[in-house]
Amino acid sequence: MKLKVSTAPHVHSKNSVERIMLDVIIALLPTAAVGVYLFGYMAGLHIIVGVASAVLAEYAWQKLNKKTVTISDFSAALTGFLVALNVPVNAPVWITFIGSVVAIIMVKQLFGGIGDNFLNPALTARAILLASWPTHMNAFTSPSMFGTVDAVSAATPLTANYVSGASDAASSATSVAVNYSYTDLLLGNIPGTIGEVCKIAILIGFVYLLIRGVITWHIPVIMVGAVALFTWVLGGNEGVFTGDPLYAVLSGGLLFGAVFMATDYTTNPMTRKGEVIYAVGCGLIVALIREYGSYHEGVTYAILIMNIVTPLLDKYIAPKLYGRVKKNA
Amino acid sequence: MLILPKSSFKGGVHPLHNAGEGKTQTKGVPIKKYTPDTVAIPMAMHLGVPATPIVKKGDTVLVGQVIGEAQHPRSLAVHSSVSGEVIAVEERMQLGATPSTCVVIRNDFCDTWVDGIKGFGNVEEVDQSVIIPAIRDAGICGMGGACFPTHVKLTLPAGKVCDTIILNGSECETYMTCDHRLMLERPLKIIDGLRACMRALGVERGVVAIEDNKPDAIRAIADAAKGRKGVEVQVLKTKYPQGSEKQIIKAVTGKEVPSGGLPIDIGAIVMNVATAAAIADAIVDGKPLIDRITTVTGHVAVPSNLEVPIGTMIQDAITACDGYGDTPCKIIMGGGMTGLCAHDDTISIAKGSGGIVVLNEKEAKLMEEGPCIRCARCVSTCPAGLNPCLIRKLCDNEDYEGAKRENVMDCLLCGCCTYACPAHRFLTATCKIAKERIAKMRR
Amino acid sequence: MPNKKVRMSTIFLNGIITENPTFRLVLGMCPTLAVTTAAINGVGMGLAATMVLIGSNVVISLLRNIIPDKVRIPCFIVVICSFVTIVQMLMQAYVQDLYASLGMFIPLIVVNCIILARAEAFACKNGVLASAIDGLGMGLGFTLSLTIIASIRELIGSGKIFGIDVFGGGYEPMLLMILPAGGFITLGLLLGILNSVTAKSAMKKEA
Repeated sequence: MKLKVSTAPHVHSKNSVERIMLDVIIALLPTAAVGVYLFGYMAGLHIIVGVASAVLAEYAWQKLNKKTVTISDFSAALTGFLVALNVPVNAPVWITFIGSVVAIIMVKQLFGGIGDNFLNPALTARAILLASWPTHMNAFTSPSMFGTVDAVSAATPLTANYVSGASDAASSATSVAVNYSYTDLLLGNIPGTIGEVCKIAILIGFVYLLIRGVITWHIPVIMVGAVALFTWVLGGNEGVFTGDPLYAVLSGGLLFGAVFMATDYTTNPMTRKGEVIYAVGCGLIVALIREYGSYHEGVTYAILIMNIVTPLLDKYIAPKLYGRVKKNA
Repeated sequence: MLILPKSSFKGGVHPLHNAGEGKTQTKGVPIKKYTPDTVAIPMAMHLGVPATPIVKKGDTVLVGQVIGEAQHPRSLAVHSSVSGEVIAVEERMQLGATPSTCVVIRNDFCDTWVDGIKGFGNVEEVDQSVIIPAIRDAGICGMGGACFPTHVKLTLPAGKVCDTIILNGSECETYMTCDHRLMLERPLKIIDGLRACMRALGVERGVVAIEDNKPDAIRAIADAAKGRKGVEVQVLKTKYPQGSEKQIIKAVTGKEVPSGGLPIDIGAIVMNVATAAAIADAIVDGKPLIDRITTVTGHVAVPSNLEVPIGTMIQDAITACDGYGDTPCKIIMGGGMTGLCAHDDTISIAKGSGGIVVLNEKEAKLMEEGPCIRCARCVSTCPAGLNPCLIRKLCDNEDYEGAKRENVMDCLLCGCCTYACPAHRFLTATCKIAKERIAKMRR
Repeated sequence: MPNKKVRMSTIFLNGIITENPTFRLVLGMCPTLAVTTAAINGVGMGLAATMVLIGSNVVISLLRNIIPDKVRIPCFIVVICSFVTIVQMLMQAYVQDLYASLGMFIPLIVVNCIILARAEAFACKNGVLASAIDGLGMGLGFTLSLTIIASIRELIGSGKIFGIDVFGGGYEPMLLMILPAGGFITLGLLLGILNSVTAKSAMKKEA
């Protein structure tokens, strides 16, 4: 009789990398759908180009280097999807293309492929695009709802807030502040990148990821909570404890970043304690950049900075050993 | 009588949770007795020095006769489980491709018992000093799988005090239902065995810990424990590896066994319920450990809980279940999470074999390893609080010293990390290799 | 003189290819990353360093038997300083634009590792002619590397090479490449490519 012999365990969970990546892509669909609805068919084109170029880049790179082609694990598709959702709709499509290629080749494959990148590929791509073509990456328009594409750039909620904050002391009368209502912020009726505007769609994706067990609540909730707290403490115009935490939470890419970017497995810590520090760090840096930095938006850089801190957190924060013996030294 | 609230430990997984932990096939099937034509009784069924065979080819042996002598205080005697003629004393491959001397006996089906088997009396009245020697002479070792000689476990090291004996009836391992059926059908024996151990060591508290997926067993044990001194029933959450020694201690007492230490360091002793039942048999009837209940399940025609003589070969046990239900591709001795693969169906059922699981080709398909995506599922499921993915990375670089620093020696080999890994990495196997390599380095 | 028989052309090519200071020895990273935003800066920086290298190598080689071993580093620095000052003054006088765009990095040539390293590793052990040729080779190797990096960065980062528009009006330059991060990325990629090419050719030789 011929029997297979293998090591225990002989039963496996149904988890797989493919399933996880697919789940995240599914969680992004509401956001993407709302993006297309708000910003028109060009948003859809961005997404298609982003996904296609990421997958092709990964395929080409692995073929050229005679490595196993891993496009079937959907991770490249996911990266491309995220890149596309991170550009404003008015940016030319080649921006998304370059973003996807840079994310896959430079950030992911050059460092060893899936699981070995030390930065979130999509976010790094966004940072590179932002530094390279700031005019395109900041060309936000108000949602057009399939109407004529509004070529006039508009101020995002954060830019608006920034202007009003800065000019408040000087001449509040001439301030051009455009404050958006909370409802607009929640529904996404605001200028922004394709994926970040509709908070409700992002929350739907968040709930889906929680139900599927892909992520835990810790990083997103703590990060958003930290931003709210620090904004409340630091953000006001009339001294400390006068900031508007809700406005800070609902504007910019915070929710999108907290749910889909900061939770990237590869670049966040392995232990729960590490995750908490990581999330608080992200939140603190977001608040600091928004309040004191020269950028209006700090989510990208906050998460990237904490990505770099992750190996350090993993090195010094080990999981709690069962039956740890305290050393009296 | 007291039923304590549910308790558990940190980490763990829920294998085959939507399929009733793989137990639905057999958990309602009553224990069935089966005796095969031939038995091959291995001399190395317990952890420690193997017994020395004292019979030779052609000898006639009776049930309960000593056929293997313990020649070391930490060794155990082996008794014949059937009556008949010894047809061979030879080396045979057993689990894990380790050879063991086996006494092969052809059953004459007369069931003639050897002379001089008699009980010591009621467990509540028997002299305390005879209990542990009786357990030793009956050849009893842990029947949950680790096979540690029970009399050694019950002999406390100098200066140590035991305050709680925990009977492990959690049966967290997938597929297995032998302990479940035992608790349901013979609860009194289990409680008797527990009381015998409590009296032998003068322990005031005995806890039978059972997972909450076996409410009928909880009820049966609670009923049987009524009026018995110091016996409690503890309900545990259904989670793997709830039945692991250290995890069950944490769940029952709230204390953790210090890393590198033994349960007795915090005053606890853990025994399997089947061991307790065997102890009761040894004290009350003087019967040595010659049979056990084994769950035969998976792709067999009639999955059952069989009570078979020790030394029954897998093929006979399968015959007792009316043969295979599908072409067998993998046969596991033990459960799905920790069981070892049988390379052949002539391997004997030993004192610690609680289950035989037959997997077909689809279930036995080996997963292909992918690259680690650092999802940390292995970290959050590890009941020992290790970082399996880091240990794997160190071992890939042959840095076993580093793996040791990461406490790989505390690994239970429970399999949770491999089970949970979405990239299907063989983390448990790596830990096992690392543990063996480090143990070798010490020598 | 152990190296006497070594041919001068070998010494010369050594600096340009086999032991290219930027791509092989990875020395002098500060100017490499900082001034390579335009090709002309790369050339200027490289040539300035070459001048200093030749001069300091020659003088140090001449003085190599006089300088006491214990204080050789301060002596080298003094020699290098003198040449850097000369080069700085010359550049200020004759190539004003370049001088302005290189700015602080000209006086910083003093602490450029390549120059001190060649003084220490070569000039103080070899004859005058060999040292001069080594300085020239190393300097040209440095210039070449800088020019390559700078050309790539200028091409992608502003669409030009040596200030000449290459792509025409339609090209939108990738600003990142002329920002500091672009220097790291270009250098990293070039080093990676070179290493993989040499590793491959080494494997071929072995096979």
